[in-house]
Amino acid sequence: MRSLTMHLKIAIIILFALGIAIIGYQIFVLKTPLTESEVDNLWTIDAKINFEVSGNKPVNIEFYIPPKSGDYSVSNELFLASGYGQNITSQKFNRLVTWSARSVSGQQTLFYRLNLTKRFSDEIENSEKGDLWRAPIAVAGPEKEAVERLVKDIRSKSANVSTFITTTINTINDSTNSDVQLLLNNKNSLENKVKAIELILSQAYIPIQQAHTLVLNQSTNQTPTLWIRSYIEANKSVDNRDSIVSGGNGSWYYFNPINGSVGLPADQVVWWVGSGNIINVENGSKVRVNFSLDKSELTAINLAKLTAEGSSLTEYSFYTLPISTQLAYQIMLLIPFGVLIILLLRNVIGINTLGTFTPVLVALAFRETGLAFGVVFFSIIVFFGLLLRSYLEHLKLQMLPRLSIVLTFVVLLIIFVGLFSHKLGFEQGLSISLFPMVILTMTIERLSITWEERGANFALKVAIGTLITASIAYMVMGYQPLIYLVFTFPAILLLLIAFMLAMGRYRGYRLLELFRFKAMLK
Amino acid sequence: MISLIKTWKKLNEKGIMGINQRNADYILKYNNRRNYPFVDDKILTKQRAIAAGISVPELYGVIRTEHDISEFEEIVKNHDDFVIKPAQGSGGDGIIVIADRYDKDRYKTVSGKLMRHSEIEYQLSNIITGLYSLGGMRDSAIIEYRVKPDPIFKSISYEGVPDIRIIVLLGYPIMAMLRLPTRQSNGKANLHQGAIGVGVDLATGTTLNGSWFNEQIVRHPDTDNMVSNIQLPLWDKFIHLATSCYELVDLGYIGVDLVLDETKGPLILELNARPGLNIQIANDVGLAKRASVVEAHIAKLKQANKTETVEERIAFSIKHFSVLG
Repeated sequence: MRSLTMHLKIAIIILFALGIAIIGYQIFVLKTPLTESEVDNLWTIDAKINFEVSGNKPVNIEFYIPPKSGDYSVSNELFLASGYGQNITSQKFNRLVTWSARSVSGQQTLFYRLNLTKRFSDEIENSEKGDLWRAPIAVAGPEKEAVERLVKDIRSKSANVSTFITTTINTINDSTNSDVQLLLNNKNSLENKVKAIELILSQAYIPIQQAHTLVLNQSTNQTPTLWIRSYIEANKSVDNRDSIVSGGNGSWYYFNPINGSVGLPADQVVWWVGSGNIINVENGSKVRVNFSLDKSELTAINLAKLTAEGSSLTEYSFYTLPISTQLAYQIMLLIPFGVLIILLLRNVIGINTLGTFTPVLVALAFRETGLAFGVVFFSIIVFFGLLLRSYLEHLKLQMLPRLSIVLTFVVLLIIFVGLFSHKLGFEQGLSISLFPMVILTMTIERLSITWEERGANFALKVAIGTLITASIAYMVMGYQPLIYLVFTFPAILLLLIAFMLAMGRYRGYRLLELFRFKAMLK
Repeated sequence: MISLIKTWKKLNEKGIMGINQRNADYILKYNNRRNYPFVDDKILTKQRAIAAGISVPELYGVIRTEHDISEFEEIVKNHDDFVIKPAQGSGGDGIIVIADRYDKDRYKTVSGKLMRHSEIEYQLSNIITGLYSLGGMRDSAIIEYRVKPDPIFKSISYEGVPDIRIIVLLGYPIMAMLRLPTRQSNGKANLHQGAIGVGVDLATGTTLNGSWFNEQIVRHPDTDNMVSNIQLPLWDKFIHLATSCYELVDLGYIGVDLVLDETKGPLILELNARPGLNIQIANDVGLAKRASVVEAHIAKLKQANKTETVEERIAFSIKHFSVLG
């Protein structure tokens, strides 16, 4: 017996740990929301592309759109380009949509809409590795000397690759430095500065990329912000010369080319990477891209449904099932909770019920009638059913024919009460379908047997106990947050089994026994 | 809430057994399901008991099918009084006790009710279809000798037959109770139907105070006589019969129901693999407390690789569970 207890303990621990692990995985890795009402932002970004075609010409447009893997996950994309052929290509860091048309003329408007959400993103952006080394850009004349002086100066002020880049940015932004002015050649635009930064860094063999980002705030006319990024291995020394081949165990660092700050703010999303223009239009003029951003709040689970394609959350969950199946599964998944209630009420409280699981079935029947109507309906039918049974007692019939009569009578009663309540204006009366009817007849059968075996008092006690437990089970099984929780985290049922296993060895008093044995304490 | 916890602790201290503990620590642990039929089916119990030379009420006949019902008359031809009971019934349900015949077609029950032959056939049919059997399975009806209670109980009993329930754990009698029918229980000795339970001292067979439903009482509610201090006759025989039932059915935790017949002395009426817990209220002692004494003793015996005979076991119980001087 002791070994069985050990065995039981291990089973309980395994089930419990497994349940917690699965739920934890869903919460922390898949970011599954804990409650149905948890809300999150869904960003809608509209990119409107305008250009003019003079005359009647074939047009080819190449437009960068954000990659699917990022800090934000793409839930929905919409392309509006009627009359254009469309093709999406994935490049190493970017996605590019190509629209083409054989002949168009006049003002053209193309439209791209994107829905982004932070939740449910896979955050695998950094898995795309970058270069760790690059060849220096050739430079000659006075500029060569200026660059060499700058590199030497910067190297002396920096400890590793990351600080080297920040120092470079700070140096370029230093308007008093004459070497910098020489390099910039009085063109102080950000693009020019980035070009100068790239030139200096290339002399130190440090590769950088331009990253064009959008800030997630509600705005109607945003232009992409230019950042630079570099793929850096931590603790890499500034002397980047000889490490041509490397383990590539680095990660992307983002730098603001204006002030040298490191790290991309959480509300920025990279639209495209590289020095190319966001859009290239062949045979078009006056090309404009206009970004407008808007956010909407959605319950997290709706977000999950929207992001179904890119997220592994919904891939293996019940949310991919057809809606009608989902509803059936919701009811099924809640049955163990009804059973749990019966278990607690019987083994811990000590309430008598009719059979072991009849109350769960009655609770399921209540789902179709509603609680208040269900209880009244149940009581009326059972009352008349038992009345008939006690009358049949006098006729001295055999058990089987007698019960058959009771069942037939119950069917008639249900139909009568249903029609009667309909006339009184209770629509629930007509909602009695096959399922509750079967349960009611079963209940009357069992109750009448109990009546015969144990007498009216006991039968009444049991019937009331059944009604109470069924009502509680019904309320628990209909509790919306619980339904959501079990449906989203089915592993909860493993915890339930663990608990039920533990209850299987519960040997303490039942609550009602405390009153039963109270007389012995005097 | 706090008072409930206090009650819980006090009950625990007193060693009162709850249903969960009974099920988990005794019935599940010591009662092998395979052996349940020997107690659940009264025909099997009787057969085993007769083979072992243990006294039981004589079996007149068994009715197994609807067709057999016609044989009823033949079975009771030579008996004016008899008992009809379901072979697998429980808690005294479905039992008819016939005390006499009235005329050709009528039988008189112990409570004085007249039953027609057809009514008895109806009851037999109910029994066979499984109305009273555990789990509603088809059953058989037993017709057996009617026990005539010893007059010793007249002063504290209302009609019916009082019986004695002895709880036997692993062959050691640990608690005993006398069950007395009341007006409320319709002459039946079942506690849940309103019979009273009276504690019995294991060593001497003298009655103690009683319980009625979940209350402790000192007087019989119908006769108003004190229920305590009555010496049960032939007590050593009762204890001996009950104790030997352990070998009979090989179940570790049983309730043995016995009766004292006027002429035949102590008889085993039936065995119960899930005996109730009210015996604790009647004796004002916790079952778990006594059970732990026996379990400790058996553990000691096991270490010494010894087993005890029926007499040794009775001696142990008398020594440890005696409450009167």
